[in-house]
Amino acid sequence: MNTPTDLKYSKSHEWLRMEGDVAVIGISDFAQSELGDVVFVNLPAEGDTTTAGEPFGDVESVKAVSDLVSPVSGTVCAINEELLDAPEKINEDPYGAWMIKVNGIGDTEELLDAADYEKHCEEEKG
Amino acid sequence: MSELKRTQLYETHVAAGATMVDFGGWEMPIKYPSEIVAEHLYTRHFCSLFDVSHMGRILVEGPDRVKFLQHVLTSNVAGLDFEKAQYSIIPDENGCAIDDAYLYRFEEDRFLLVVNAANTDKDLAHLMPIVKDYDCKLTNITADWAAIAVQGPKSKELMMTLSGGAAVTEPMKNALGTLELEGHLARVAKTGYTGEPLGYEVYVKSEDAKWLWDRLIELGAKPAGLGARDTLRLEAGMPLYGHEMGVDADGVPMPIFAVPLAKFAVSFSDLKGDYIGRKALEKQSETFKRIQNRDFSDLSALPKTIRPITLIDRGVMRAGMEVFRNGERIGWVTSGTMVPYYKAEGEGLETVITDEVVKRAIGTCYIAADVLEDDIVEVDVRGKRLKAVIPEKHLDNMAPPYARPIVYGFELSKRAENAAERPVKALELLKRAEENHLWRQKKCVNLIPSENTPSHAVQTLCASDPSCRYAEHKKVKSFYDKDIFYYQGTGFIDEAEQLAVEEMKKYFECTEVETRVLSGQMSNMCAFSALMDWKNRLDRKHTPQRLGYVLNNHIIKGGHLSAQPMGALHDYIAVDPVTERSAVVNFPVCKDNIFKIDVEETKKVIDEYRPEFIIFGKSMVLHKEPVAAIRKYVDEQGIPTTIMYDMAHVLGLVGPYFQKPFEEGAEIVTGSTHKTFFGPQRGVVAVNYKEDELKYGLWETIESRAFPGSVSNHHLGTQLGLLMAAYEMNHFKDQYQKAVIDNAKSFAKSLKAQGLNVCGDPAIGYTETHQVIVSVGYGEGAEIASRLEKNNIIVNYQATPDEEGFTASGALRMGVSEMTRFGFGADDFDKLAQLMADCILRGKDVSEDVAKLRGEHTTMRYCFNDAQFDAALNEFAGKIGF
Repeated sequence: MNTPTDLKYSKSHEWLRMEGDVAVIGISDFAQSELGDVVFVNLPAEGDTTTAGEPFGDVESVKAVSDLVSPVSGTVCAINEELLDAPEKINEDPYGAWMIKVNGIGDTEELLDAADYEKHCEEEKG
Repeated sequence: MSELKRTQLYETHVAAGATMVDFGGWEMPIKYPSEIVAEHLYTRHFCSLFDVSHMGRILVEGPDRVKFLQHVLTSNVAGLDFEKAQYSIIPDENGCAIDDAYLYRFEEDRFLLVVNAANTDKDLAHLMPIVKDYDCKLTNITADWAAIAVQGPKSKELMMTLSGGAAVTEPMKNALGTLELEGHLARVAKTGYTGEPLGYEVYVKSEDAKWLWDRLIELGAKPAGLGARDTLRLEAGMPLYGHEMGVDADGVPMPIFAVPLAKFAVSFSDLKGDYIGRKALEKQSETFKRIQNRDFSDLSALPKTIRPITLIDRGVMRAGMEVFRNGERIGWVTSGTMVPYYKAEGEGLETVITDEVVKRAIGTCYIAADVLEDDIVEVDVRGKRLKAVIPEKHLDNMAPPYARPIVYGFELSKRAENAAERPVKALELLKRAEENHLWRQKKCVNLIPSENTPSHAVQTLCASDPSCRYAEHKKVKSFYDKDIFYYQGTGFIDEAEQLAVEEMKKYFECTEVETRVLSGQMSNMCAFSALMDWKNRLDRKHTPQRLGYVLNNHIIKGGHLSAQPMGALHDYIAVDPVTERSAVVNFPVCKDNIFKIDVEETKKVIDEYRPEFIIFGKSMVLHKEPVAAIRKYVDEQGIPTTIMYDMAHVLGLVGPYFQKPFEEGAEIVTGSTHKTFFGPQRGVVAVNYKEDELKYGLWETIESRAFPGSVSNHHLGTQLGLLMAAYEMNHFKDQYQKAVIDNAKSFAKSLKAQGLNVCGDPAIGYTETHQVIVSVGYGEGAEIASRLEKNNIIVNYQATPDEEGFTASGALRMGVSEMTRFGFGADDFDKLAQLMADCILRGKDVSEDVAKLRGEHTTMRYCFNDAQFDAALNEFAGKIGF
């Protein structure tokens, strides 16, 4: 499992990186590995609002669909359009394959550092 | 929860890093580290292995086994031949599925019923109380045997590596074989659940499972899990119990006829008696037929059917999502996901499968039965209504070795419209025709065995005046069978036609010949129609009975298309009520030479089926047909039958160097006059019945089925040309026939010496006809034939007797008759063999060398060419403007 230490993680397996006052959000290596081949991704539109702890989109693997949960409340200021045509990038490079950028951040979910997140994953795997 | 069961290969899966899940009470691999998409693609592109040992395997034996199975299954078990398998359904009284199953007849007297893993206990609980009333025993042998599905375009090659090169099964779908694979006993079925045209399900003893799995992986196969198995079967449109069968999302049992495969799996043969669910199924079947006729007035027995569905908008469909038409809910998705495929480029046989992976959101749905193909619907994908379409199918497997995606919206490119004025187009046409003629006649070495070039005399006669006339005529009893013509101005053609008939009688050494038929195919239709009419001549008050049983050569074994139920036999062949298939049985072929009829095995087939009609003749033909041996046998056994020899390919070889059909005991000979014979493109029917014989009536019927049965206008130009061709043949046949057969043997030997893989028996010089067959590697035939064409060598690609069909062709079929006529001898064929080997084996451009070789041979032999004849021909041609 690859868990870069410069990122924060949500318990629902999204990662977050702050670039100034903009939050960049994607899903973790653990999440992509559990999902298997990602074949489709549904992202919000620029200008949509996100709510911490609520879905902002979904990813589909061959077998199932999973919600993408926003770790922060705010406004979507960019989406990674490349993923719409090449969702497999999420498997290939989960930390390069950012999904949305959010600004005007209000509420934030409880976020874990890399070590705590790895522990959380171990527990989930049982 | 009770403990999960494990297959013989559990440890192997775990060691390979598979993700294991509970599937119907079994701990099975859902995927390997390679992931589902890669496993799916590897199956379509190369070959995957699936552990299917969890499937329930029930052995059915005992004297009442057929009777029992007829009662508890929907299919016609009496029609299941030894070493064949059939898809079937276990119905309940309401015509709904308890399970779907495959029934295998690996042994003469036992059946193997393979059912879904999760349903095995339920199925046995259903079957056990019923079997008590039969002298029949059911044994669950699931644990004794392992089952591995080997699926994908390379599966055949891998399996044949294990069999030491021997054919694993017959090439047809559902064929079975029992054989040793590197010393391990295996039962192999040409079946599968992936939609692959090449795929096997292999049953081995439990202790051999790991060996077989590891060995196939060593050879290049990769493991695939249940995830890929599901996406593959979904793309192939195959039902999965619990999704497309069983109880629907509303909790209502689904009628069996809702599944398109039901029309193959359900039989209403009388032999099945009042089987479980029959009445309900008959009602469903009636509704199903009405739906096919777009009569949707009463759909109560079949309100919804299972259909493929493709999402047009972006998204993914999943099972359970609702489907809407104009806002009205009409059903729901039963299976759906995003499925990958390799993008293809080009069209037709030029199609190239690229490495580029594309994905499409497809599925299966259970929707209102009145939805038509290409109708647009909507799917509720988590609150969003997405546009979708009902296509015909997602995948097609009729062009082996690959299963090919049928992508919605694909359109073939159209030829660009020529905007020129018609006078310009007319000039262009002349130019194009001239180019084609000169290329084919001056530069190309033509080795198509069904073609020949007629002499200048024949071609000139074909184009002369009778070519635009009519000359219908019929024998009239009142005038002592004198031929009466309906039109004036036909005196010359009457004379020429009578002369042609007489000349052809001399050629065949027979009593009667009909030359009015226009093609070999029409000759056969005329003969079949006459035979059927003759069969029914004593009862004109009932619908005539069709022919059956008919013994012929299977098309895959070289049988002529014109003698197949899909060809000229189509409207004349009966359906066997036991098998519910065409009443045709095929000549068995020798195990060590699949190009040759096995006479001893044929005798057994004749004993069993007592065919009323025996048709010899092939289009892929290396041997003489055993007409004399079979004639002798049916006479000795007193089996009433009619023996016909369709000599289309070998018509020009009738005689001592090949075969004299009537001397050997054939009664009817049909053929086309333009393959090895010298004629223009026509047909001929000959018989050897004498006027005082009973069957002379059959001859008279043949005449009436020729005219007015088959032709009104019998194309008088080529009829005239045929007379000249018959003169040429009768005059030159002794030299020509010997030269053709010598050349064929010599060509075969040269090709072999050049390192090409020549088919046939070396002991007879590979061939006894004008044909030579060269094997170029499975599925490679079309590409190599196309490459040869670019090098001015015209051949046709051909599926050999152990290949699946024309796109899987691994051979070239060649004939030497046309080039023999242009003066090719052993040396020329030797040069040609070298050029072909350079082109096929070394990829060399030999086009100029071929054109040069051909250019040295443009004078036609075996035709009249003395000075006096030439002068007369030139004068004639000049006067009529040719």
